[in-house]
Amino acid sequence: MTAAPVAIPEAPTPPGGVRRWLNSPVGAQVTAAVVFIGAWQLLTLIAPRVPGPIEVMQFLFVEITGGSHGGIVRGQFFEHFAITLQRFSLGLFFGFVSGLLVGILIGSSTLARALLNDTVLVLLTMPAFVWAFLTTMWFGITWQAPVLTVAFASFPFVAINVAQGVRAIAPELRHMSTAFEVGRWKHFRHLTVPAVAGYIFAGLRFAIIIGWNGILLSEWFSGQAGVGFRTRYWFDANRYRGFVGWVIVFIVFIVLVDRVILNRLQARAFRWRDQKEVDFIEIQEQQVGL
Amino acid sequence: MARVAIDRLSKTFPPPTKGGDPVVAIGDISLDVEGNVFVSIVGPSGCGKSTLLNILSGVETPTRGSASVTEGDRPAHLGYVFQDARLLPWRTVMDNMMYVRDDGDAGAAKAALYLDMVGLSHTHDMFPGQLSGGMQQRVGIARAFSVEPDLLLMDEPFSHLDAITARSLRDHLQELWSATRKTVLFVTHDVVEAVQLSDRIIVLAPGGRIFDDITIDLPPRSPRQKPLVSRRGWPLRASGRRGPPPPSRGTRRR
Ligand SMILES: Nc1ncnc2c1ncn2[C@@H]1O[C@H](COP(=O)(O)OP(=O)(O)OP(=O)(O)O)[C@@H](O)[C@H]1O
Ligand SMILES: [Mg+2]
Repeated sequence: MTAAPVAIPEAPTPPGGVRRWLNSPVGAQVTAAVVFIGAWQLLTLIAPRVPGPIEVMQFLFVEITGGSHGGIVRGQFFEHFAITLQRFSLGLFFGFVSGLLVGILIGSSTLARALLNDTVLVLLTMPAFVWAFLTTMWFGITWQAPVLTVAFASFPFVAINVAQGVRAIAPELRHMSTAFEVGRWKHFRHLTVPAVAGYIFAGLRFAIIIGWNGILLSEWFSGQAGVGFRTRYWFDANRYRGFVGWVIVFIVFIVLVDRVILNRLQARAFRWRDQKEVDFIEIQEQQVGL
Repeated sequence: MARVAIDRLSKTFPPPTKGGDPVVAIGDISLDVEGNVFVSIVGPSGCGKSTLLNILSGVETPTRGSASVTEGDRPAHLGYVFQDARLLPWRTVMDNMMYVRDDGDAGAAKAALYLDMVGLSHTHDMFPGQLSGGMQQRVGIARAFSVEPDLLLMDEPFSHLDAITARSLRDHLQELWSATRKTVLFVTHDVVEAVQLSDRIIVLAPGGRIFDDITIDLPPRSPRQKPLVSRRGWPLRASGRRGPPPPSRGTRRR
């Protein structure tokens, strides 16, 4: 029997112009955006009630610059956005901090786990609109309702993720801390937090998205101001370009928070992991230098 | 001068499977170590060597009996070198050294000194992942020495390394030890290593009992004066003049 000929894989040919453009991060994003806007424009041809991209952009321009929407209605962007942002940050702060603490408790103590784990799981399954309704029932049309909606909706996501992270901490490292009698605060700061950082970020991402959903709903139902309120205002006025315009605002906001803030924080927190390749070269250089 | 006093110590772990027998990691050990001696603990895998060190360092609690490590009349201050380096991967080498100390800048100078002693002064700002296994282990050794412990516990610190790296670290260890003369409890599988480094060797048997307790009475060692081991396993001087020690050479306790 003769051995079957073995195919030697050829070196991959470098991708051509279009492929290279699509493979570059900017190229991929720009292409995706263009495709999306094209599809949207097509949709307006089929469904004429859907406002097209140009119409919506015109609306947003007027809304943001505070110009006239025709008649006496003027653009109001920053007042609503600022109010929502304040409530959102406050709610997220409460939800995140309490989630972090409870998560660490559940992760590190079996008693706390027995007591709290199921409660957190139940909270996790509650949709944000339930909180929006409940807080409005409790507090009426006040600033507390949206803030608490964000806090309640985001809290369980942080808690569950952090608890999982704490349970995943290598026992060897904890033993090391014990053997060297490292203090509690130091242990928390230099071992627990960095070890759980990945889980904290995952929790925070969910918290932001869920919390943002929650605040829009809450303001939609009970707001007198804010992004959700303004969105409803245009919806009730049958001005769909206004509605779609504001929907785009909150999508863009979330994407920006993710890209600009979270990704940077994450890159900073994981410097130790991502630096490897560069620094092996540095080590070699240093050894040559020695 | 640290004193390790172990009195009728035993440690039993719950059965690994339901309905199985509990695991006896240490069965009734009594042991006294005092002064600036280097004591090796050898024995087959699973005979409770790591468990013993973990009890001494407060990571595990005894099931019965007691173990105490004192320095004068206060609890002794410990250093621990593990089988793996056990560094915080998200902290730089220097920050890892500082993690186990409570002092500020004065401590940094000390940490730098010990890193220098293991030949790693160029790695202060590197992360453990950027070092080789042997370099990481050296950081672990420097860390344990840098807290200037009364008692140094070492659990097979070289077993994960290749023979050449292990030998060079052993030399580092001997130098550090000659310079500092700590009380050391050193766990190893390697009898040659134990003989080369120790003043006394405690042999554990399966079931966590003391099988043998040998005092080695060789002149002060240095890296260049390594005892040889004869075919029968007894230590010889480098000159080869010393024969197998008569039974009375070792103080035996059973
Ligand atoms: N945390 C634990 N839970 C349950 N059993 C354990 C635990 N730690 C150790 N044991 C058991 O105790 C016995 C002694 O373990 P130990 O790690 O002390 O052995 P060792 O002498 O260090 O072995 P080696 O030379 O392989 O490191 C083993 O049978 C092990 O399975
Ligand atoms: Mg062991």
